[in-house]
Amino acid sequence: MQALSCKKALGSVQAFTARPQTSVKRANLQVVAVSIKEVRVRIGSVSNTKKITEAMKLVAAAKVRRAQEAVVNGRPFAENLVKVLYGVNQRLRVEDVDSPLVAQRPVKSVALVVVTGDRGLCGGYNNFVIKKTEARAKELEGMGINVRLICVGRKGGVYFRRRPQYNIESTFEVGQQPTIKEAQAIADDIFADFVSQEVDKVELIYTKFVSLISGSPVIQTLLPLSPSGEVCDINGNCVDAAEDEVFKLTTREGQLVVESEQVRTATDDFDAGLIFEQDPVQIVDALLPLYLNASLLRSLQEALASELAARMNAMSNASDNAGELKKSLSRIMNRKRQARITTELSEIVAGASSV
Amino acid sequence: MTLQVCIMTPDRIFWNDQADEIILPTNTGQMGVLTNHAPLITALDIGVTLIRSNSNWNPVALMGGFALVKQNQVTILVNEAESAQTIGVDEAEIAFQEAKTKLEQSQGEKQRVEATFVFKRARARYQVVKQL
Repeated sequence: MQALSCKKALGSVQAFTARPQTSVKRANLQVVAVSIKEVRVRIGSVSNTKKITEAMKLVAAAKVRRAQEAVVNGRPFAENLVKVLYGVNQRLRVEDVDSPLVAQRPVKSVALVVVTGDRGLCGGYNNFVIKKTEARAKELEGMGINVRLICVGRKGGVYFRRRPQYNIESTFEVGQQPTIKEAQAIADDIFADFVSQEVDKVELIYTKFVSLISGSPVIQTLLPLSPSGEVCDINGNCVDAAEDEVFKLTTREGQLVVESEQVRTATDDFDAGLIFEQDPVQIVDALLPLYLNASLLRSLQEALASELAARMNAMSNASDNAGELKKSLSRIMNRKRQARITTELSEIVAGASSV
Repeated sequence: MTLQVCIMTPDRIFWNDQADEIILPTNTGQMGVLTNHAPLITALDIGVTLIRSNSNWNPVALMGGFALVKQNQVTILVNEAESAQTIGVDEAEIAFQEAKTKLEQSQGEKQRVEATFVFKRARARYQVVKQL
């Protein structure tokens, strides 16, 4: 409103002042006016961006809940499997187990299964996993071991495909939620690789869901399995299959936090009278592929939860940044606006006093 | 007295219901389980299990796993399970024929292992809808 009235006043002043002065004033006014409009447009786009990033954060938070439920749904299977695995293992000696999945061979070729996300905008999530993979591949090649990659998730696939020094065996996309079908497809691939002796070891690189803020990629040995179902990482640290960590996204004092609790499955002995329809060794043979599938699915679910948490963080930071940017832009705009008003007023006063 | 049949896959509990009899596709052949069976554990091949309630037989395709029978509770853990409702007849038949030809044409150990899996699964799914 003020701007318009000033312009009108200036118009009347124009009639009274010398020409060169007018044109200079007009040029001045135009420069200032365009600049304010630009800043206003910029503020509009920044606040739109802020709305989008806030929405993405909420969507990611809702999806983490779903990912949690998926992990919880998978627990009855995992618990029962571990119970039976323990029970059967007590009936046989470790040396007897001759399933192809526990075969330990001298390692000449390794398959690395790399779990990344399909989309970006999740902070350093994809990057950490990719860097870890590159380091591991370099380490293995330095030891003279052949490395092939199985990329799960579009981001990893795109990255490594562009680099011809990496031998990519296959790529998989996970989609909204890792389902048993996808885990089965990946498991089939590595099963076939391992059993046909094309690779001697299969390692999985994924991000464990530790907390909302940090997520660290770990390297886990998928194959060869240990007959008792222990989960080992590459340094040989093994975790008992009966111990499990279940994570839960809850709120504490108004903040979203991740709580994890250790759960231990009760593993009691089998009945002495339990009939083994086939040899215990054959039964373990049937159990181990199940175990492979279940642990692969579990890792995919955890990786998804980590990705969502990383996205929540990244979007939250982006929203905060957008808010700050908007504040500083508004301040600039207001200052410019006030400067312009002051200039116009002073011109009017100058013009009035010269009359 | 009836059996309580519980079929679990890694991502959910697929089936949890009562039954009178169940025929399992074990590694060593078909095996029937009635009430009050002695405790038993068996590995399951990729195939079709038949679950009977009264006189209705329900076929379910199981993709390999094991079954534990104890005190009238049958616990089945499998990689994947599919019932007749989710399988299309024509699609299952086409998939079966394709898998068969692929298996016959496969070369090399790895291809053969993969093709055998696919074939067995397609056959299980086809058998489920063929029964109806």
